[in-house]
Amino acid sequence: MVRIKSRHLLCEINVTDRNCLLLLDDRAVLAAVKDTVLRMHGDYGAARCSIGFSVKYLNAHTGIVFLRFPKNCYKLLWSALPFITSIESRGHKISCFFNCLHVGGTIRTCQKFLIRYNTQQLHRMLPKCKNEEEKQEIRQAILNCSLLRGKKEAFEEASESEEDEEE
Amino acid sequence: MLMFTFVTKNSSSRHASRLLTCGGPCTVSIMSVFMDLNLIQNQTEDRSGLKSLIETAAHLGFSTVAVNYVFEPTTKKKQNIPSPTPINELIDQLPIVQGRSRPIRVLNRLTIVMSDSSHYRPTAAEYRRFDLLAVYPTTEKLFHAACMTYDVDIICISVTEKLPFFFKRAPVNGAIERGVAFEVSYSAAIRDATMRRYTIANAIALVDTCKGKNVIVSSAAEKRLELRGPHDAANLSLLFGLSDADAKEAVSSTCRSVVLHAERRKSAGGIIHTTKTSPEETPPTPDDRDAPAAKRAKPLETE
Repeated sequence: MVRIKSRHLLCEINVTDRNCLLLLDDRAVLAAVKDTVLRMHGDYGAARCSIGFSVKYLNAHTGIVFLRFPKNCYKLLWSALPFITSIESRGHKISCFFNCLHVGGTIRTCQKFLIRYNTQQLHRMLPKCKNEEEKQEIRQAILNCSLLRGKKEAFEEASESEEDEEE
Repeated sequence: MLMFTFVTKNSSSRHASRLLTCGGPCTVSIMSVFMDLNLIQNQTEDRSGLKSLIETAAHLGFSTVAVNYVFEPTTKKKQNIPSPTPINELIDQLPIVQGRSRPIRVLNRLTIVMSDSSHYRPTAAEYRRFDLLAVYPTTEKLFHAACMTYDVDIICISVTEKLPFFFKRAPVNGAIERGVAFEVSYSAAIRDATMRRYTIANAIALVDTCKGKNVIVSSAAEKRLELRGPHDAANLSLLFGLSDADAKEAVSSTCRSVVLHAERRKSAGGIIHTTKTSPEETPPTPDDRDAPAAKRAKPLETE
């Protein structure tokens, strides 16, 4: 039996004000993507993303979102993502844009990528720190995630803890 | 054809440069870094807007950006060509590019909006201050002249109005042979639905004529929320009728050849070309130290 294949897009939601990100929930993201696909590709696109499309994971602190698309039409649906300019959530209109970081066949590869990406972000943050406390905090975070990498633990927890430090 | 001989400095950096083949005169080109050759300098706003644009571009992973100065001559009165602000006056420290350990490179670009042939003066000294030179022809005659004779790097395609003329094979092929690139910018398409139709229609008309060669896709962003990431831009240009490989080249290696073409234009046709080399500018292995994040840790190279 051949299994159904899909593609997972790891996207980063970029906003001007980071506090707006906390207003997001996965239903709002789902609605925004579906609405944009309908606007861009019409009924055909809407039909294509009605089956097999879901928001698998959303981190409101960092604005990381995993989107799952069917494999045979993911390029069509991906091409609608750049036209998202705002997300309607809880009565607020958050202007933002999606930045696709990684396309993977499974969630596992996306998580692996995300861990490396977030570690890199911590390294980039280190020279920008203003005071000594922040610096110490980030050093501790980098140490934590480099210790975790040796063990084969649940990747979910690892990525979660890193992201919390980043905030 | 001096500009098509790409030489990599360190061929050992295998992850940084992937080989891919393309048809035409350049048989093998290096998949180079991502570039966005069009960030609009907003005249009314102060320089903080441009600064945040450049920072966002670095965050998204663009290694080279060009600040665009649009010059629109009118017949009534004589205007001065804008002079570029040196980038070290705008930003004291350039941001580091995502996934690479070097600061972003910022170029200056002049776009001349042409409605009359007198607007382009081939020997103007003002043009020499810019790294890149682009024209935006509005009539068929000017388009033909821009493709065949004008010594420019980029020809802009209208994205905000209906195509003013049809693209003919002869001038487009002439431009491809001379190494002049065509530019499609996508931020007008993000702003407005009717503009989106014009952008897609005009881009498809162009891509049909030039068969996907020498097309660059740029943002023309004025605000930081109008920028898109390089992978998104490449995938977006599938809507413009480009194939997968051409779409990827439209944000990377075609842009690189445009920059090389500009250097050749400035330096007496590429016969004599000097490069400034100083030890602090060329670190030994710049790309390998901070490679883009991958799902698996790459083993360290031992040499």
